[in-house]
Amino acid sequence: MDLSIVVPLYNERGNVNPLYSGIVDAVAPLGIDYEILFIDDGSTDTTFANACALAAEDHRLRVIRFRRNCGQTAAMAAGIDHARGTIVLTMDGDLQNDPADIPEFLKKINEGYDIVVGWRYNRQDKLVTRKIPSRIANWLIGKVTGIPIKDNGCSLKAFRAKVIKAIPLYSEMHRFIPAMTSLAGARLIEIKVRHHARKHGVSKYGLSRIYKVLLDLLVTKTIVSFAARPLLWFSVLALPAVVTSIVALFISIYGPLATSSTFSVPIAGVGVLFGALTVILLLGGVLGELVYKTGDTRLDKLSFLTAERLQPRAKTQ
Amino acid sequence: MTADRARALPRSREVGIDIAVIIPVSERCDDVHALYDAYRKALQSAGYSYEFTYVLDGYFPEVLEALEQLQARGEPLRVIKLARGFGEATALTAGFQNSSGDTILTLPAYYQVEPSEISKLLSAARDHDMAIGRRFPRTDSRLNRLQTRLFNWGLNTITGSSFHDLGCSARAFKRQITEDIPLYGDQHRFLPVLASRQGYRIKEIDVAQSPKDKFTRFYRPGVYPRRLLDALTVFFLVKFTKKPLRFFGLIGTATFAIGGFILLYMVAQRVFFDMALADRPALLLSSLLVVLGVQIFALGLLGELVIFTHAKDIKEYTIEEIIN
Repeated sequence: MDLSIVVPLYNERGNVNPLYSGIVDAVAPLGIDYEILFIDDGSTDTTFANACALAAEDHRLRVIRFRRNCGQTAAMAAGIDHARGTIVLTMDGDLQNDPADIPEFLKKINEGYDIVVGWRYNRQDKLVTRKIPSRIANWLIGKVTGIPIKDNGCSLKAFRAKVIKAIPLYSEMHRFIPAMTSLAGARLIEIKVRHHARKHGVSKYGLSRIYKVLLDLLVTKTIVSFAARPLLWFSVLALPAVVTSIVALFISIYGPLATSSTFSVPIAGVGVLFGALTVILLLGGVLGELVYKTGDTRLDKLSFLTAERLQPRAKTQ
Repeated sequence: MTADRARALPRSREVGIDIAVIIPVSERCDDVHALYDAYRKALQSAGYSYEFTYVLDGYFPEVLEALEQLQARGEPLRVIKLARGFGEATALTAGFQNSSGDTILTLPAYYQVEPSEISKLLSAARDHDMAIGRRFPRTDSRLNRLQTRLFNWGLNTITGSSFHDLGCSARAFKRQITEDIPLYGDQHRFLPVLASRQGYRIKEIDVAQSPKDKFTRFYRPGVYPRRLLDALTVFFLVKFTKKPLRFFGLIGTATFAIGGFILLYMVAQRVFFDMALADRPALLLSSLLVVLGVQIFALGLLGELVIFTHAKDIKEYTIEEIIN
């Protein structure tokens, strides 16, 4: 199978049918072997029934239903886990992405890119609650991860299946897939996509997610830079502790010897404490190495999955 | 888990079993024959096909003998004997794995609920994924009721659920749940909490308390802290499985900040007011807090690393069905 299209749906009953016909209209003329995966993320409306009615007519449409609402990342992860195609394409279920853009994504993958990211260059959303926070978040993600992508929040993305299946997807990590894969050496390109205003249903996002995004960004950055070499990372953490320990111990011993002042228990104590911290941090680093070696998500392994190993870089057309 | 002897019935007799009745046997165990007969009568009158599985969590020769007598009588029951006491959750898991039937009914090996009430549970388990018993109205001593209420109140507060009697072992549920939620240690009590987190529909059913459940219970003092630790474990499983740094980071940063603040304050006093730093025990306290803060944060990082490298094993979603 060539292509799996993964679409998470949460209370999108008005959008299921137009979305399905939009995707079929865009993909059918290409003459490739494809499947569509609708993931019903615990909808409380008729989304699942609508999707099932379509699936009864078309065996290329598969519907996965969650027992409860698990969130968009989990829905994407489920879709990616069950995808059978060599290319996985993800998109939103709210019709704001245009299925007509799909062929362009496939073209880029066939040109040799591992990841194609959509950029909603004329975004049709509210300025204050959606566009401005998103612009700040994108700028920040770009700064922190060093991968300048203009639109991390766009769900319309295409991946080489073997690359995306090796990436751990949990919490709200879907926003950082480009950054993570890019750091692992995948070739990434950003292309402009159409974006439409919402026709049916209501938006499930608000300002409240900013805090979570910031925290996840910090975690991602830390994990990505630290995962492959925990000992080094912990050594860096331990450096100030070593310095403090040596200085404090020196003062507490040198003082009584040189100036015949009394021996200071608190200062010697500080020295011993930070000395102990150093030892614990270094041992923690060793433990980290052990965890990483026995784990099954390895960024260094991931880089072998990309066909040729080029320098990580982001490009915009 | 080592079931050193599983006295199984021939496989052919399992076909068409509706209900797998699992009865874990540990310290508290009442008259085996009488209780078995009472349970069997209740199931028979409700018209289910059933199979009993007794799991002996340790060495209980009298119980084993009584069960062997029942087997000799030709009763449909199997006995699994664990090599030693592994805890009730492990005993239950052994029972789940060595039984058949799409609906599982767990029952206490002692008089806790009226046996005639279990048909209420079974009929509720048809419309829901899990039906759990709640002993109501309670007829036992005030002290027991207070213990139950405190335990459930504490657990509901930390996990954000609303159950009234997690100490009641009479529960009926779909086998699917046991496959989705691995249990270990003493976690069997919290199965409803974990299952409802996974999106299963759970219903509490009032069941009459057995008149023989009346005596006042005191547990050994070691039991209470263990319960508390179990509750904390469940809290972590429910809230922070995938985000250890969110939790550890918060505590670590707070500890570090308090220590750092005291330290800065004392350094300022040393620099501007010429108060000696060397003879102040508070210096030790603040350094201790700083060190502790860094350590907690480092633990959180290690936790994130564990999650990151093993994320493929931990699914964040539960699938109800797949079409096509």
